[in-house]
Amino acid sequence: MLEIAQRQPIRWLRRSGLLVLLVVLALLPLLAARGDGDGMVNNSTLFSLTQMLMLVTLASNWNFVSGLTGYIDFGHVAFFGLGAYATGILMSKAGWPFLPTLAVGALSAGAAAVLIGRATMHLKGPYFSIAMLGTFAALREIARVARPLTGGGPGLTLPPYLNRPLFYYLALGQAVLVVALYRWVRRTEFGLMMLGIREDEPGAEMRGVNTIFVKTSAFGLAALSSGIVGGMWAYQNTFIDPDIVFLDSRTIDMAIASVLGGLGTIIGPVIGAGLLYWLRDVVWASFLQWHLIVQGLLLIGIMLVLPNGIIGLLGDRSGLDPRRIWARRRKR
Amino acid sequence: MTEFGQALVNAIMLGGFYALMVIGFSLIWGVMGVINLAHGEFVVVGAYLTWFMNRHVGWEPFVALVVVIPVMFALGYLVQRVLINRIIDRPPLVSLLVTYGLAILIANSLKLAFTGTPRSVTTALSGFWRVADVTIPVVKTIDLMLALAMMAALSLLLTRSRLGKAIRAAAQNRRAARMVGIEIGSVFAVTFGIGIALTGAAGTLFSLTQPIAPFVGLPLTLRAFAITTMSGLGNISGALFGSMALAAVEVFVGTYVPGVGTNLGLVATFVVLVVILITRPQGLFGGLPPAEE
Repeated sequence: MLEIAQRQPIRWLRRSGLLVLLVVLALLPLLAARGDGDGMVNNSTLFSLTQMLMLVTLASNWNFVSGLTGYIDFGHVAFFGLGAYATGILMSKAGWPFLPTLAVGALSAGAAAVLIGRATMHLKGPYFSIAMLGTFAALREIARVARPLTGGGPGLTLPPYLNRPLFYYLALGQAVLVVALYRWVRRTEFGLMMLGIREDEPGAEMRGVNTIFVKTSAFGLAALSSGIVGGMWAYQNTFIDPDIVFLDSRTIDMAIASVLGGLGTIIGPVIGAGLLYWLRDVVWASFLQWHLIVQGLLLIGIMLVLPNGIIGLLGDRSGLDPRRIWARRRKR
Repeated sequence: MTEFGQALVNAIMLGGFYALMVIGFSLIWGVMGVINLAHGEFVVVGAYLTWFMNRHVGWEPFVALVVVIPVMFALGYLVQRVLINRIIDRPPLVSLLVTYGLAILIANSLKLAFTGTPRSVTTALSGFWRVADVTIPVVKTIDLMLALAMMAALSLLLTRSRLGKAIRAAAQNRRAARMVGIEIGSVFAVTFGIGIALTGAAGTLFSLTQPIAPFVGLPLTLRAFAITTMSGLGNISGALFGSMALAAVEVFVGTYVPGVGTNLGLVATFVVLVVILITRPQGLFGGLPPAEE
């Protein structure tokens, strides 16, 4: 009881802090509109915040699969790519308006994940990771070869639409929704089943958990959300080709954000994504060609010195220590 | 018939390159349990080294092997000492993420050092023989011979030398090997060095058959993984067989299915791979460790 009583002010502080943050984020574009783009918040800040919010969503999706069920997905950007191509093809070839294409992109990414997951989620540990890496490389090749549909290597150009606040609000809305959803799911029975799969899959199976169903549903849900991000990204960028859409460093971004914040926690990827973007904008904006090199070093460094992420540093041990995953089972 | 003969010759030549490329990966995975996701990047480093010696020093690419092998050995030794030995006893996820980070690091450093422009080496051995309308390029023949010779040398090293015995002991049982006085840390470092040296040599062969760019590593890593999964860990003759099989699939798909590059063969390979892993989790010929042992 005492412990709960002591924790209450912290929870209250946390909640009000979160509320203030959300209000500030919601009001930011208004500042931009008033300042004629040269104030503290200009269009490029808004753009980069939008990118950050997209990464928050992507990292949360990645973490939902990789952190909660322990299936490390090295090809998650494949679903982002499917969403981007759905929007790109429907808008530039079929003349669809933007929003319906997001639905199509989400559904096709989700359906693809369920289909692919039905096969690959039978694989364990590193075999799954590399099968997903292969899936992603395969989809990139297909996008390159299927020229009549995807425009092949030269890519597709979408109708330009420069409305930064719109994309910002879409990205913000999605990020808030997705994080809230995952937070809720984690507390439901379904979430417990996911954790059960991570901690001891044969055990979970023996207790009657339909592991394939749980894994593929979680995978499908995360992919659906990544498909929506892909569609928004495509329209905002107004140009897509196989290389910029199926970009392996985007999967790395998701992994770094999750691991940096705290793999297997809900708020970890949010903190990680924010920090990663802040680092990118502030610290190494001046030497851009180095940024992927630094990123590689960062991933290695986190794994060596900070495996529990920032959340772990703050004393929250509810997440997943990457050193522990697959190890507990090994002991038997 | 000519078309078939040509495809067959091409497949054998490509298979030789794959075999040399894959044994380093297979050795490292088999001995240390580390799936090196930066493997393809090491091939590319070897290729760039060859190109550098060729372009700026004027050496014949095959001669550059004299430089490539020791330099790559040293690089591998260093990576193992500084990085991999620290994470070797941890579960595979850590080494996957660390080597993935390493892959990104190497690929982008190469881009910074050599730009993204594709580079090609020049060789005096650009001729070919014609046997019954089938073209057999001289370079690729030497490629194949070198690959076979290096695999034979590795096989001898592993079975006939004290070092080889220590490596095999470390692979079989780390703790027991430590107990009988084997310096595990340095055996692993030497193993990684040998693996990377062979991989760098594969890079030299690679540079002779196609242009080099910083980001061609990932498909190579994936192929190495697919072949190793099919043929089992540290299995040299199995790796040769698996490489030939994969090369045959890629070349024949490329020859007989119009409008398709060899990279789509990779797609086919992965479908086959996933099916194999699901139906036979121990690998096609056994010898693949279960993921949750």
